[in-house]
Amino acid sequence: MNHEPTPSTSPQGSSRDSAESLSDTLRWAFQLDASPALTGATWLAREIVPDASDAFEAITATTTSLAALRELKSAFKMLRSCGATTAERSLAARLYAATLAAALIRHRELITSQDPANLLRAFTELTDDDTMPDRVRDLAALAIDFVRNK
Amino acid sequence: MDASLHDAYEAMPRLRIVIAQGVAIEMTTPQHSMSQTNWAQMRDAASGSSTAQASLDAIARRAWPAIYAFVRASGHTNDAATDLTQGFIADVFLGRNLIEKADQERGRFRTLLMSAVRNYLNDSHRRKTAVTRTPALGLRSLHAMHDVGHEVQDLAGVSPERAFHTRYVGAIVRAAASRLQRELVADGNEISWEVFRMRVLQAAMTGDVRGYDEIANALGIDKGTCAARVLLAKRRFAKLLKEEILTTVEDPADLDDEVAQLLALLGSR
Repeated sequence: MNHEPTPSTSPQGSSRDSAESLSDTLRWAFQLDASPALTGATWLAREIVPDASDAFEAITATTTSLAALRELKSAFKMLRSCGATTAERSLAARLYAATLAAALIRHRELITSQDPANLLRAFTELTDDDTMPDRVRDLAALAIDFVRNK
Repeated sequence: MDASLHDAYEAMPRLRIVIAQGVAIEMTTPQHSMSQTNWAQMRDAASGSSTAQASLDAIARRAWPAIYAFVRASGHTNDAATDLTQGFIADVFLGRNLIEKADQERGRFRTLLMSAVRNYLNDSHRRKTAVTRTPALGLRSLHAMHDVGHEVQDLAGVSPERAFHTRYVGAIVRAAASRLQRELVADGNEISWEVFRMRVLQAAMTGDVRGYDEIANALGIDKGTCAARVLLAKRRFAKLLKEEILTTVEDPADLDDEVAQLLALLGSR
């Protein structure tokens, strides 16, 4: 199922049929149920980086701006504490760490106030997690080197 | 209005208010619990129980916009459509015709309701008597009309069936949204409600979409947090929406099919 961002309409509003707007809203509301593969994390990532196929791509793509990484970080930070399940909260924690790593490696920016020890621990857990895609673990490994050498 | 209807009408002050003033569904309007199905509420409304008045109020509140839209899109003026809607609620709801049919036919409330409105309009005698009731029941104010949902502009050139289904779904969405608002506010999470209202509800109801940047600026939060709040509210909204649609089907197993039908009906011209 293709991702549908929050129901959108024409800026003018009145030119759009209200039945279409309601139809969009119904589809949107039931979208996650209809497509279990579409996780909350992916939905969130696409709200911020619409062209990304999933959260991992949104974070690791070289085209993702620093501003977008900051937004992704905030989104995953919230999902980390308010996610629907333990699995979702755990995934959000990994993605949160991954955005920090991407900002460091792609943009040479530290976008958190966490101390280096905490950062290293988060990046190490990310590299050790074999459920994470290689591109994310590689990014975390580079971030570990970056922090250690700084 | 015959004597028995008049007695029932007089005995239900809350309904008189509903009929005389129209039914304005606003996000801040307290709603009765929709845990009962529409059929259960209709039977309760006719039962004379201690909750009959609340049941009648709740079901009339939900049905009003769709009934009005069907009548209006059938070519009646605002005033005539308002009167006919009032007449339909007084005659059919209070007259128990719909309740009897509901017991006989069972199935989807939507189908039953639209069929009953169509038949009501085809009954010229009732239409005439409904019009003569106007002075006694009063006309709804323009303000109240707007609350029902911008009918005047939106219904031009729209078939009665499409108008009905649009308002019917709109009422369900509003009911679910109203419950979401109460839940989020009760949780001290007003900001999530505001994000949801600005990002989702406004687009659904008025076609006016607001971007994350604008909302984030308005609320003083960042865009990422904004999106996360929408996601969390979306999940609760979907659950409430399901519960609301479930009240309109006799068998819970019909939920998915009813959603599919509503989507198809909204998509058809």
